[in-house]
Amino acid sequence: MNRSARLVEIVAAHAGREGPLLPLLHEVQAEFGCVDGEAEAQLAHALNLSRAEVHGVVSFYHDFTATADPRPCVQLCRAEACQARGVEALVPAAQAAAGGRVKLHDVYCLGLCSVGPNARVGDQLYARLDQGSLVELIERA
Amino acid sequence: MAYEPQADFGTPQVASETRVTLTIDGRSVTVPQGTSLMRAAALTGGSIPKLCASDNLAAFGSCRLCLVEVDGMRGTPASCTTPAAEGMTVHTQTPRLQKLRRGVMELYISDHPLDCLTCSANNDCELQDQAAAVGLRDVRFGYAGENHLGLAADTSNPYFDFDPSKCIACSRCVRACDEVQGTFALTMDGRGFASKISAGQAGDDFLSSECVSCGACVQACPTATLQEKAVKEIGKPERSVITTCAYCGVGCTFRAEMRGEQLVRMVPWKDGKANHGHSCVKGRFAWGYAQHKDRITAPMIRESIDQPWREVSWDEALGFAASRLQSIKAQYGARALGGITSSRCTNEETFLVQKLVRAGFGTNNVDTCARVCHSPTGYGLKTTFGTSAGTQDFDSVEHSDVILVIGANPTDAHPVFASRMKRRLRKGAKLIVIDPRRIDLVRSAHIAAEYHLPLQPGTNVAVLTAMAHVIVTEGLADEAFIRERCDWDEYQDWARFVSDERHSPEVLEAVSRVPAADLRAAARLFATGGNGAIYYGLGVTEHSQGSSTVMAIANLAMATGNVGRPGVGVNPLRGQNNVQGACDMGSFPHELSGYRHISDTATRALFEADWGVTLDPEPGLRIPNMLDAAVDGSFRAIYIQGEDILQSDPNTHHVAAGLKAMDCVIVHDLFLNETANYAHVFLPGSTFLEKTGTFTNAERRIQMVRKVMEPANGMEDWQVTQALANAMGLGWNYTHPSQIMDEVARLTPSFAGVSHARLDEAGSLQWPVNEAHPDGSPIMHEAGFANGKGKFVVTDYVPTDEKTGPRFPLLLTTGRILSHYNVGAQTRRTANTAWHPEDLLEMHPTDAENRGLKSGDWTRLASRTGETTLRLLVTDRVAPGVVYTTFHHPATQANVVTTEFSDWATNCPEYKVTAVQVMASNGPTDWQEDYEALSARSRRIAPEIPAEAAE
Amino acid sequence: MDVAHLTLMANQIARNFAVQGDERAAAATAEHITLFWDPRMKAAIRAGGGADLSPIAAAALSRLD
Repeated sequence: MNRSARLVEIVAAHAGREGPLLPLLHEVQAEFGCVDGEAEAQLAHALNLSRAEVHGVVSFYHDFTATADPRPCVQLCRAEACQARGVEALVPAAQAAAGGRVKLHDVYCLGLCSVGPNARVGDQLYARLDQGSLVELIERA
Repeated sequence: MAYEPQADFGTPQVASETRVTLTIDGRSVTVPQGTSLMRAAALTGGSIPKLCASDNLAAFGSCRLCLVEVDGMRGTPASCTTPAAEGMTVHTQTPRLQKLRRGVMELYISDHPLDCLTCSANNDCELQDQAAAVGLRDVRFGYAGENHLGLAADTSNPYFDFDPSKCIACSRCVRACDEVQGTFALTMDGRGFASKISAGQAGDDFLSSECVSCGACVQACPTATLQEKAVKEIGKPERSVITTCAYCGVGCTFRAEMRGEQLVRMVPWKDGKANHGHSCVKGRFAWGYAQHKDRITAPMIRESIDQPWREVSWDEALGFAASRLQSIKAQYGARALGGITSSRCTNEETFLVQKLVRAGFGTNNVDTCARVCHSPTGYGLKTTFGTSAGTQDFDSVEHSDVILVIGANPTDAHPVFASRMKRRLRKGAKLIVIDPRRIDLVRSAHIAAEYHLPLQPGTNVAVLTAMAHVIVTEGLADEAFIRERCDWDEYQDWARFVSDERHSPEVLEAVSRVPAADLRAAARLFATGGNGAIYYGLGVTEHSQGSSTVMAIANLAMATGNVGRPGVGVNPLRGQNNVQGACDMGSFPHELSGYRHISDTATRALFEADWGVTLDPEPGLRIPNMLDAAVDGSFRAIYIQGEDILQSDPNTHHVAAGLKAMDCVIVHDLFLNETANYAHVFLPGSTFLEKTGTFTNAERRIQMVRKVMEPANGMEDWQVTQALANAMGLGWNYTHPSQIMDEVARLTPSFAGVSHARLDEAGSLQWPVNEAHPDGSPIMHEAGFANGKGKFVVTDYVPTDEKTGPRFPLLLTTGRILSHYNVGAQTRRTANTAWHPEDLLEMHPTDAENRGLKSGDWTRLASRTGETTLRLLVTDRVAPGVVYTTFHHPATQANVVTTEFSDWATNCPEYKVTAVQVMASNGPTDWQEDYEALSARSRRIAPEIPAEAAE
Repeated sequence: MDVAHLTLMANQIARNFAVQGDERAAAATAEHITLFWDPRMKAAIRAGGGADLSPIAAAALSRLD
């Protein structure tokens, strides 16, 4: 099945839902690894929105990307609380461990401020990281 | 008027009966409940600093400049989002506020170029003004940090540039596109510091995006980020004149902003009652034709049409014309002469042309371009309602619950009104579209028609009768309204007729191809959905049953009680700026101004006494009849003001033959148009920017057209007509168009209270303006119909004689596109060609596949009448069996294929139905090539000094 | 004037009034032609012999004085 036809199916699965754009975008991102211009246009047409509107939403959220990146992704929180708990010192080792194989994605707050430094892989959250556990997490990703 | 931007109260006006009184900076102010503090302050003459607020946009609260302090309230709320409340005490300027605002402004300026002196918005920039207002003296953050100053400008739009380096991300452009225009073409791309305005998606520019170039974003921009190219080139305007747009029948009013005699820009006027400060790509930007090099400014004559033109003095041209007219009259009688008034010209000019024909030529052979567009509206609404005009004002749409659009494409042909309609639809009104083609209103961002009935072209009456059948047989008619307001016996005759089983949707589906279930549902919705309003256009009138369809629409409105109050009514969307006015002014051969028949002795006596002549009591020839009579030899001279009948009228070959047969064709126009190829006298015309007068829009609104620059040809059009009249010895002595309007008022009861002075004072007036309605009539038939009782007219569906068959299996229908206007004489001479460089033929994929055609292919479009070539666009907007094109480009000659079939009552041509065949083609037809050669030959102008014979 | 074309016009008018019944349709057609046709058109169609006129159109024309 080509992408366009698969998109039609995804849209159909959300038919009748109130405010379907975000769930749809998540599903498209998960399925295709990105929400590219073509998908934006197709979703705009399907939801009777303008192309610009969909693009505005896609570009607003870090969860949606215009091009697919096949690498595994580790989100590392570098917000104030994690900084206070020492995340900055872990960054060089994390970057070295990630190399070109893993995408290390800075995020700002994962909502676990009291137990940082924190990271996220997929839907799994990791707290109280030190250099060893963070590097291991990245290597396993 | 000096140049100063119109006052902006920051947030929209609120309609509330409840008032609240509060104190702002010590001043007491009473405002409708729900009014923002910002607006309340502005109403008392104050001005709270603001950047993201504008009174045509909902409050947004993002710029953080409009903070105020309110006694008893914590913090510093934004005045744009805080509603005024009873007893509030507000302070708009305190040391705390000053400090906060400066801090905010510092942040803005830290990422804004400091090139004010060389900036195109210098001295016309809200950011600059607000920096001054908050007393910005320094920017502590410096300019070294990360910024947007290096971003490249997008210059793709032909009329304005987008320079993101100057953007402050206030979102006003995005909101204007959404809320005012309703296109949603812009967005905020990204987030946080990376936020930037984007037209469309990544990789789009303004031209490739969904932007329709209405200019709302440019107007909304508080900086030079979105700026007219003309302002960049010329500089800031120094004066402005309020005038009325000369494109479509919406009648937008604009501020023509000038520097010297140079027009810098047209900015929609917020106080314009038709447009409320909005505009479209045509009125806002496409005025460059006024100064186009093709414009002819000197009179020209020639003995015969095979000769080159000779530039002559006005006296010589007028003398030549007058003597030809007089000798033809002497030899063949007055009825051999005639004239055509223009819906493009002012009421005053139109009135004068018909006066010249009736009183000067001595014949009623006067007609107007409404013949080919809305003449059925005149006939149909006069017959049913008693008045040849739409019943509502545009504001009425705010109160509609169900909107029925039939045979109209408002987003392309009446874009500013379409934006109003779309706004109402987004607020929840339901939409029914009856159109063979899937127009944008059927489905576009945030708008979706409840029902689209894609009827077979030519079956309007069948569809409307079927709707009436459902309403009557299902007991949905508003009997109370009908008994009170209409002739009950006539209603019963009509109800019996439509109730007949042969008019059921199920039976008529075979004819109309509209699924019966959809039609039933649409009829029920219209009858029961609350205030029902009908809007229609040329898809209704330009048929062999155009007049019947108009009457069927009126029947439907009366049967459902949808006449005589806001939110309902029958609304013809008029194609041209002054088509309503041209009809009002007595341009039709059978009636004098105010729709009074020429055979009426009392009316004639009124005019005869005023004009000192005897009028012919017999109706004159209509345009197509004039052409027939010309071929026949009994019609020999014509004065055509501002209309290009060769391009706009059906069956081009026949029009050409008629024109060719005449002894004297006088064309009075801006350009050597297609008709002028057959003319003997060319009288240069003036543009709407160069004249004073009035236009009357689709809502019967009479508005002033004011001269903003001197006519390039030396005379306003009414002066040219007067000079021609005087060359014929009529001794006219109008010194100002207001005197012509005074004459109209004294001879026309529905205009009795109209004068230029009254219009200057009121801004605009909707006729009738008389003793009963001294301030005009936004809604008609409120207390009763003009005739007394509304008249139901039985409209029997009669199929057109234009039928498909094996040779011509497809139905061609025609229409317009947003960026062009009518025959394109104006818009083709502007950068609007960027959007639509040629006419395309739309065809359904199935039909295209059967013929082995694809988008972009050259195709030959042939009918019984003629053939032409144009390129194909394959699209499912049109149904199988239907093809569609526009008629904006003379090279296409779409009217070569249209036939002479016409409306039974008015002879309005049946443009909307032509049986055709389409096949692959290599290039232009013989006619197109011959015509191009003729065109080039005919447009030759002899050099001023005749060249010596080269021997 | 082209009588064939005028005949077509008259028949078309008559056809659209036909639903009112022959008598009223003829009267309405006659009135319509009186109100909207130029004298030479009326003269031409009356001089034309009325070969292809529909019965209603013919009846209408006979009413024109």
